[in-house]
Formats: sequence, structure tokens, C-alpha cells
Amino acid sequence: MSDEKQQVSRRQFLNYTLTGVGGFMAAGLLISPIRMAVDPVLKDSSAGDLANVGLAVEDITSEPQRIDWSVNQVDGWYESEVNRSAWVYRNDDDEIVAFSPICKHLGCVVSWEGSEQHPNEYFCPCHDGRYYKDGTNVPGTPPLAPLDEYEQEVRDGMLFLGDARPRGEA
Amino acid sequence: MKWRKDDLQQYVQAKEYIDTILLPLIPIQLSKDDQAEKYASQAEVMHILANEIEKELTGRIMLAPSYHYLNSADKNTEIHRLKMWAEDMKEQPFSQIVHITFDSGWKKHEKDINDNLLWIPAVQAGEINSKEMHRIIRDQVGQTAELIRSYWQ
Repeated sequence: MSDEKQQVSRRQFLNYTLTGVGGFMAAGLLISPIRMAVDPVLKDSSAGDLANVGLAVEDITSEPQRIDWSVNQVDGWYESEVNRSAWVYRNDDDEIVAFSPICKHLGCVVSWEGSEQHPNEYFCPCHDGRYYKDGTNVPGTPPLAPLDEYEQEVRDGMLFLGDARPRGEA
Repeated sequence: MKWRKDDLQQYVQAKEYIDTILLPLIPIQLSKDDQAEKYASQAEVMHILANEIEKELTGRIMLAPSYHYLNSADKNTEIHRLKMWAEDMKEQPFSQIVHITFDSGWKKHEKDINDNLLWIPAVQAGEINSKEMHRIIRDQVGQTAELIRSYWQ
């Protein structure tokens, strides 16, 4: 080795390599905790996602109709496809309303005009719970709260529904 | 209601409303290759069916853990065990137990079971996740729920 070429001393060279290797190791240690700390921010929340239920807005009439659709749901151990249903109609103010069919008493499935004795009402087959057309529970029947209402949105003439919320919060 | 901690908690609060037990009877037999598959597939369908019926009528039905038995076993012995189950269940205010099964062997012993026995012909439509299967099961659920409701009248 000639003297002119020796611009990096042995000492400097060792310093550089050690800092470099040390830096890599530190980065390796730090990068995973940082990713974990940031992770919750990067994840888009699945709550509040609206799903296309396959019903065109112009097909919604003042007569409640039952629609079924499915959404992906992660539930503890497993991810599964969950079937959801709703009763959809247009109310007197021409607004679209989507009710969850889950009875507020003990969770059976209610149906519109499910009993011949009670026309124009939702009827729960389990304990004869009843709801008026606007979802309000009929006093004197087992349910103590009105039917839950789905979050909704209309996009390109199709109805999108989200999660069911108790009335008043929706 | 299902046989789960959360549901049981709710059950204890609302006992008087839940008066029916749904008890699936599921045969098993692993010893013969060709039959094992059949029993497994029937068991799968039965689980789905029972769960769906429970979903429709949650507020009045308790879906008990399935009763499994060897297909080759003597039905009289099984009936004896079933009766012990029923006895214990009726310590709670259940007015009826509905047994649901694909096994036609029970039909002959219907008289000895003191409760309702619903025998449903098994569907062998192959793929369990197919559209066709979904439709068939939906249909069976609807009709079976209807029948159970008629017991309540």
C-alpha cells in the first residue's frame, strides 16, 4: 500500500464499520416495536362499514320488505360470514327506514304482519311481542324498546346498510 | 339460547320465557369407512340446521348440547340415557323437549320418548357451502320453526 492512497486509517475504518453494524443492530431491535406502536393507526376499522344489500332504492315501497345479506365478521377465534336481515320500507316522510328484525325482548326474529290477528304490525312469534310500523313497541307486549335501526346510506341508487343501533342513538 | 356462558346467564334471568329445549340427536360411527363420511356430513348439516332454528326462535328455545350416540348401539339403552337427560332438564321450567334428528331409527321408538321427536329426511346434496344447500337448509329451517311454533299454540 502506498502512502498517498491511505486516506482512511485503520482506526477510522474500524470506527465506521462498528458504527455501521451497531446501527443496523439497533435499527433491527427498534423497528418491530415501532411498527407495533403504529399499527393500530394503520389498521382501518371495520366498524361502520356499510355493505351493499342488493336492493335498489326505487324498489323500496311503503310496505316493509325483508332483505338478507352477509358481511364478514371477525369474532374472537374465527372470521366468518354472518348473515344479516332487515325490514326496509319508506315512511310517511318518504325516508328509507331499515329495522333490525331482532326482537328487543329476547332476540327472536320478528316479521312484518307475522300474525293474522295483528295486521300492520311487526310480530314476534316467541312471546307475541308486537311493534308498530315505525318500530315502536306496542305497550303491554313483552318488548320494552323499539326495534333497532340500521345505519344507512344511498350510493348510486343502491341501499347500503351498516350496523344496527338502538333508536335515539342512530 | 345456546349452551354458552353468556346465554346461560341470560337464561337464568329470563327463565319463565324459555320453555322449550331443542336437542339434536346425532349418530356417529367411525368403524366403517364408507359410513363415517355419511355420518360426518349429516352431523355438519344438523349443526347448521339446529343453529339456524335457534337463531329464529332464540327467545324461547334453549339449544342443548347435541346428543351423540353410536349408530350401532341399541336404541333402548340410548332412550334410557335420553330420559335421564330429560329428567334433569325438566328440573328447570321447560315444558317441552323437541328432539331433532336425521336418524329414522328413532321413529320406531317414538312412543318411548315422552317428548316430541322431529325426524327430518337427510339431504345429501353434496357441497355444504353451495347455494343449493343454503336454499334447502333455509327452507327446512323455516318449516321446522313453523312446526315448533305450532307446539306453542
